[in-house]
Amino acid sequence: MICATLHDMTEEVRTEFHQLMDEVRADLVQMGGMVAEGISAVSAALLAGDIGGADQIIAADDELDLLSLEAEEKCVQLLALQQPVAVDLRTILTDLRMISEIERSGDLVTNIAKAVARLHGAELEPRVRGLIDRMREQAVKLTAKAMDAYAERDAGLASVLNDMDDVLDDLHNEYIVSVFASHELGKISIQHAVQLAVVGRFYERIGDHAVNVAERVEFLVTGELPEHLGANRARARREQDEM
Amino acid sequence: MNPEKALMTQEPDARASDVSDASDATASEVSAPGAPAATAGTTGATGVHARIDVSGVAAAPGQRPDAGTVFECADVDVYYGDFRALRDVSLDVAEHEVTALIGPSGCGKTTFLRCFNRMNDLIEGARVDGTIHYHGVNLYQDEVDPVEVRRRVGMVFQKPNPFPKSIYDNIAYGPRLAGVKRSELDDVVEGSLTRAALWDEVKDRLKMSAYGLSGGQQQRLCIARAIAVQPDVVLMDEPCSALDPIATGRIEELIAELKNDYTIIIVTHNMQQAARISDMTAFFSVQANEMGHRTGELVEYAPTSLIFTNPDDPRTEAYITGRVG
Repeated sequence: MICATLHDMTEEVRTEFHQLMDEVRADLVQMGGMVAEGISAVSAALLAGDIGGADQIIAADDELDLLSLEAEEKCVQLLALQQPVAVDLRTILTDLRMISEIERSGDLVTNIAKAVARLHGAELEPRVRGLIDRMREQAVKLTAKAMDAYAERDAGLASVLNDMDDVLDDLHNEYIVSVFASHELGKISIQHAVQLAVVGRFYERIGDHAVNVAERVEFLVTGELPEHLGANRARARREQDEM
Repeated sequence: MNPEKALMTQEPDARASDVSDASDATASEVSAPGAPAATAGTTGATGVHARIDVSGVAAAPGQRPDAGTVFECADVDVYYGDFRALRDVSLDVAEHEVTALIGPSGCGKTTFLRCFNRMNDLIEGARVDGTIHYHGVNLYQDEVDPVEVRRRVGMVFQKPNPFPKSIYDNIAYGPRLAGVKRSELDDVVEGSLTRAALWDEVKDRLKMSAYGLSGGQQQRLCIARAIAVQPDVVLMDEPCSALDPIATGRIEELIAELKNDYTIIIVTHNMQQAARISDMTAFFSVQANEMGHRTGELVEYAPTSLIFTNPDDPRTEAYITGRVG
């Protein structure tokens, strides 16, 4: 029997609403792309000691800030005017959280760019340079994968980001050891060593923001809030207190 | 008095004639006479409010496990002649909760609402298959008096429909027919109007025509009239669709208050309203067969907070997010 349900119809009755949501999605994907490009550009400037290039990257962050504000404004409009529910509500909540995550990653790129001038004159050892390049590669990969998961609504991809981030964390640890070994051998000053250590921390944080984005994507797709170990511990304590 | 007997204290034939004379819209509210109101208050051990054992009743997910079940519907089909308007609806309605029925036009939600107080009996050729138990009593067994059912299960309609009488007489009509003494009527009128959040606005003009009230006030008057006969359940069929946002807000506040004393089932086209006021939401949809006959069905029944954040069925999500017509 051929049964045509009304729901087989693909008619869209809230076209403008959903178009605006698609616009926000495109804005966020663009912002994620800008961050990924920024990570590569700032890494190149860092390794080349290119202070001029770093200054350009710092200036470019204004554009990201503007896009963040515009996207947030659109989300506020959608919440105020469209009363979103279900997947629409989850999408807008995800978008709002993601705007902060991406914008913060952009700030970290800027922070790395600011370190370029402070590291002027430091001679980086090949091992340290190699580790910076590998951290760059991982940070770009994590950011791009998180944005792919968001753009494609791919909860499966989002769920592996946390494990992928372990690679960056390990690289970061290795890098810190190398930086201070380099200092102990008298290759770089303590000021430069500390500055390099802070730069490593910026890469590591960019990875964490990508993982946060992935967790929100999982929420968007499944409706399940991501589990946090600390929150679970607090919940268990609260339940115990109530007993 | 056990619940079963309480529903069967009237001679069905005698009461049915009362109803058939009344217009469709006012029938349930006019048909107040049942067991004397004093024996069927909203609390106490008498009447239908004696709790039945519901330990074996399947509750919907998320429903309060300790909530009493007022209605248990199993495999309900509704036919108008040969035409099946609604099929296979099974759900339980919990006591002192607001249950919202939503869905596109023609999905059978109003038809289903009318099953709860046997209003479909008033439509020629209408037939209800399956079972609806009300506090454990099969509503559609022969011995059940539909008029008594309608006193216990009152109804408020889309359009306010006060009687062409004074405000006072609108409220006093049902209790008077039910045998409430003249000396007690004043208290019943004041109590009902107070519960319907209308008393302060009308206490100085009780003898004036109900038609002089605003639309929102008229609707609250109709709610007061419905609760004046001390029902157990109040059915509402799009009660705010003819009202402005302020009047709608008042009715919604009132519904939140009323659920402390009554079980409420509401049909609404306004999904935000369902989200705001209900505890449970039932989403109905409609399917057409190759002959073009459209039959309503229950798609999903779940706590409202779940339906509007993470519904289980893609059809529910499509409807509430406006992705289908």
